[in-house]
Amino acid sequence: MKTLIQRAVKATALAAALAAGAAFAQDIKIGYNADQSASGVAELGIAGRWGFEAAIEDINKAGGIMGRKVVGVVRDDLGTPPKSIQNMTELIDNEKVSAVVGPANSGNALAWLHIPQQKKIPVVVPIATGTEITTRYAKEAQNYLFRVSMVDREQVALLGAYAAKSSKGQKIAILADSTGYGQGGIKDATDILALHGIKPVAVEKYGPKDTDITSQLAKIKAAGADTVIVYGIADGTAQVLRSMEKINYMPTTLGTWGNLSSLLPKMAGTKLAEHLILAASTTEDTNAKTKALGERVRKNFPTLTTFPCAAQSYDSVMLIAAAMKLANSTDGEKVAAALENVTGVEGVIKTYNKPFSKASHEGLDVSDFYLARWKGDAPGRYEDAVTKALTPADLKK
Amino acid sequence: MGATILQAVFSGLALGSIYALVALGFNITHSTTKTFNFGQGEFLVGGAFIGVSAVLLLAGKGLGGALQPAEVTLARYGGGLLLTMALMGLLGVLLYFTAVRPFIGQGGLAWVMSTIGFGIIIQNTALAVWGPSPLVIPSPLGDEVIRIGGAGVLPQEILVLCASVAIMVALDLVMQKTRLGKAVRAVAHSGAAATLMGINVTAIVVLAFVVSSGLAGLAGLLIAPITTASVFMGLTLALKAFSAAILGGLSSPRGCMLGGFLLGLIEALVGLWHAELREISIFLLIILVLVLKPEGLLGRRIAEKV
Repeated sequence: MKTLIQRAVKATALAAALAAGAAFAQDIKIGYNADQSASGVAELGIAGRWGFEAAIEDINKAGGIMGRKVVGVVRDDLGTPPKSIQNMTELIDNEKVSAVVGPANSGNALAWLHIPQQKKIPVVVPIATGTEITTRYAKEAQNYLFRVSMVDREQVALLGAYAAKSSKGQKIAILADSTGYGQGGIKDATDILALHGIKPVAVEKYGPKDTDITSQLAKIKAAGADTVIVYGIADGTAQVLRSMEKINYMPTTLGTWGNLSSLLPKMAGTKLAEHLILAASTTEDTNAKTKALGERVRKNFPTLTTFPCAAQSYDSVMLIAAAMKLANSTDGEKVAAALENVTGVEGVIKTYNKPFSKASHEGLDVSDFYLARWKGDAPGRYEDAVTKALTPADLKK
Repeated sequence: MGATILQAVFSGLALGSIYALVALGFNITHSTTKTFNFGQGEFLVGGAFIGVSAVLLLAGKGLGGALQPAEVTLARYGGGLLLTMALMGLLGVLLYFTAVRPFIGQGGLAWVMSTIGFGIIIQNTALAVWGPSPLVIPSPLGDEVIRIGGAGVLPQEILVLCASVAIMVALDLVMQKTRLGKAVRAVAHSGAAATLMGINVTAIVVLAFVVSSGLAGLAGLLIAPITTASVFMGLTLALKAFSAAILGGLSSPRGCMLGGFLLGLIEALVGLWHAELREISIFLLIILVLVLKPEGLLGRRIAEKV
């Protein structure tokens, strides 16, 4: 309903803009395509959208790109691959966007990767973490898929290193949700633990909507695990923590960055949420810029904000803008090539000095990540003897 | 090992009581009109959202607010429950007159589509009003785990179990012992005969939809502190509850309850052994029951006379 009205408003705005004629043709369009209404991931997509819009606002305030105004074109993919594909085609063919930011679901990205690749439109993925997104076309003359987000394998590298160092008897278990996300996580985590010479003592699954995970945890407990890597997003992890409390089994619990959603402390309670140690790309307490962006995004979306999605989307747009300036063009082929050469780009997460190269399209990697933990209703950096002892050599991937 | 099995039994009973409560809703409308509300899961969603909002308002907060554990008192939660059941009951009346009554007695299955459609309308209205993020409501009884024989259980789970059993027993008593119950059973047996006996069939049928929808609303708010109120939680729960009704016998209220508890226990106990086999074992059992005893475990076989 809401989106219908929004769409109607947007259509009217578009018609008005078309009537304005020549001035409109000058604008540079950047698309945003992610789930904003249909699944648990929608919250991430909405947070990302506010970051996307904040970046465009800042760019326009600073005079736009090459003196031209930037316009964001937002589409909701409803969390489903068919709709996401349709949105991509529409954004590229009808709206004639010069670049796209999105999506939130890895599955949706994997469904349409070939479209921007064939049509030569650069895409920066701000949320989805599936490892294959940036690697599928890595061998082609120009890969059009870039990412400023965590990458499954990279965040597991950090979690695996911590687990290997902190587990006394090297007894580590993996507990993942039964979606494609969790299943990919099991594979990545098993591979990475193998690099440390560790075989997980138990691998268990749970449904993403399960409210009781005591039976799986009982098996993990019986296997003697003192460390559990939980691969899922916030609502599922909250139920895992609750079930741990029920059976009075509180091993070292490691989680992915999806748990930076404020849903975790809300559902599990602040005390249980603090038990989880998770991988993060950024938290609002990272620096003054993240703090300012956090406050800005919260104005639009006060109840639930997964801040890293907003920060990563913001930085994605900044990198696209820098590449357009460097290429002095909005032509997709030139912009994609320029993305591989941009340097000194001020984002909120960090200053990007040559973040992308021909070989790697990941704007962030394991060296940018750190461990975090919820404290009350805000996540912050987590440090203990183990994190201090971690060396780059421990981060096997 | 004993504690682990006890834990699974507790978890299974808590889950099962929700299935049973929703299954009972299927039974009530089926016995009076031979239809069910396929949007029952979305009614549950509606109930959860209305209930959480009611508690928010009673606590003097706006709809977008977040509830702290201290703000969810038993009085506010109870008030929220009553309001939810009343509103969902009204919605049940609307459902009956718009989506079921026009199609009763027709050979086709138009009501299947119309009740599903009604449910989708509710779901999308909830999405438009409350947005996609789940609403969190702390339990009025607190979050301290209660330990019984080495197994842990949340106070809210005990509340859900007790409330469900109490409601089922009360409904059973009403059906068996009161004039109203006899009237409902008479309508269930034969609408035409009941009319001849001076029973207001329409009123009884409307009542059935009110109770069925009210139960879904009640179940929604009862489980919200455990699952959170999410727009997307309806379908899975309704499917399990419908399976419970088939398993125990759609025509028998007691069968629906038995089916619900059985399903919950199987889920928890099989999960102890192999989590992936949970759904497989449940649906295998249902197919088995349908083949061997199509009327369900406690259902009565209806002898068709030609």
